[in-house]
Amino acid sequence: MAVFDSSDKKRVIERLSSIREVVFGMQDGILTTAGVLAGLSGAVSIHRQVVLAALASTAAGALSMGAGAYLGTRAETEVLSTELERTRERAAAEPYMLRERLLHELEHEGLSRESSYRVVQLLSSAPQALLSTAEVKMYGLSRQALGSAAVDGLTMGVAFLIGAVVPLLPFILVPSAGPSDYRGLIAAMATTALALFAIGYFQGWLAERRRRWLSGLHFLAVAMGAAVAGYLIGLAIAPLGGGGGSIPVAP
Amino acid sequence: MLKPGDTAPAFDLPCAIDGREGRLRLAQIDSDWVVLFFYPHDFSFVCPTEVVAFNKSRDAFAAERASIVAASVDDAATHVRWARELGGIGYPLLADAGGELARAYGVLDEREGLAMRATFILDAGRMIAYAVACPINIGRSVSETLRVVRALRSGRMCPADWQPDSPPPARSDTAG
Repeated sequence: MAVFDSSDKKRVIERLSSIREVVFGMQDGILTTAGVLAGLSGAVSIHRQVVLAALASTAAGALSMGAGAYLGTRAETEVLSTELERTRERAAAEPYMLRERLLHELEHEGLSRESSYRVVQLLSSAPQALLSTAEVKMYGLSRQALGSAAVDGLTMGVAFLIGAVVPLLPFILVPSAGPSDYRGLIAAMATTALALFAIGYFQGWLAERRRRWLSGLHFLAVAMGAAVAGYLIGLAIAPLGGGGGSIPVAP
Repeated sequence: MLKPGDTAPAFDLPCAIDGREGRLRLAQIDSDWVVLFFYPHDFSFVCPTEVVAFNKSRDAFAAERASIVAASVDDAATHVRWARELGGIGYPLLADAGGELARAYGVLDEREGLAMRATFILDAGRMIAYAVACPINIGRSVSETLRVVRALRSGRMCPADWQPDSPPPARSDTAG
């Protein structure tokens, strides 16, 4: 008989906890870069300038997103660690109250008072088990929830870079012959759409959804909506740059 | 909450006594003093420290002609299992399911439906001689309850921290 190995499942779940950074970073990398390409293609007529601006935007975006994820996780970890430490102190100072409150929580979740008492009594024989259960049940805290700021920052930054390559590469490889030649932009948008759909589909697969294509379409619709808005804004502000729709470049 | 001088409400309730279910009326208790203490719940972690501590001091209370009776909102069957869990309790645990008795003594937490931690000492005429209540997270001192029973029995003016072997108070200490 196959035995469910919870430690394997735990490892998988811990790995999947980085999915937020991967999806967020890639999606932002793809969209920001596609948005820059679309926006600048509307406002700037020189292909090389658009590519350079997009590269600069990618570098800045990857660093900013990586730093943001690093700082965010660090702040979250600090707050969570403080709360966990406080719980530990409370448990040491008021052991009866900790047990009483855990008993109350278990009762609240449907166990009878007597069964809750016996569970807490059993847990009390192993202080670490009592404490970690109390942390989860009473405060919704868990040491497993403490992420690594460096890993999160790196994951987010790299994911952004990978995402940025998706629209950038076809845009570079399909050069534009002139201001009205949108082949590069169309190629970039096509790969962007495909990649966004793929991320949504992957997300649906992870969540074990039956209609994964719907997840893909949903992701694509939300993300492309932002890109189209970026292009329209680019068109709207083009007159502000002067020179009939192209930005003058220093030699 | 009732105060010293008030008549103690009578009771006639199911209870757990000597490891089985029974019934107890206040009128059945023939000791000079009755220590009636309310506690919130069976199968909890603060209450048993008090229930067990009173049980250990049962003989000391009996020597003062005082009976101990405890009450909570749990039913008698739960009391029996709880008493067994604690290794046996030699005084009655009243089943005040619904909290009527606690309400009559003014110590029912209506929101929680539980009795507060309150202790009453009833005299031979079943009037309240002493009443005290404390927060739910603080266990009571059994030795303090015993000291008060002894002080009440002495019929003397007892200053702070009085003990049975304390010397009589000086004349100036007796006022107020």
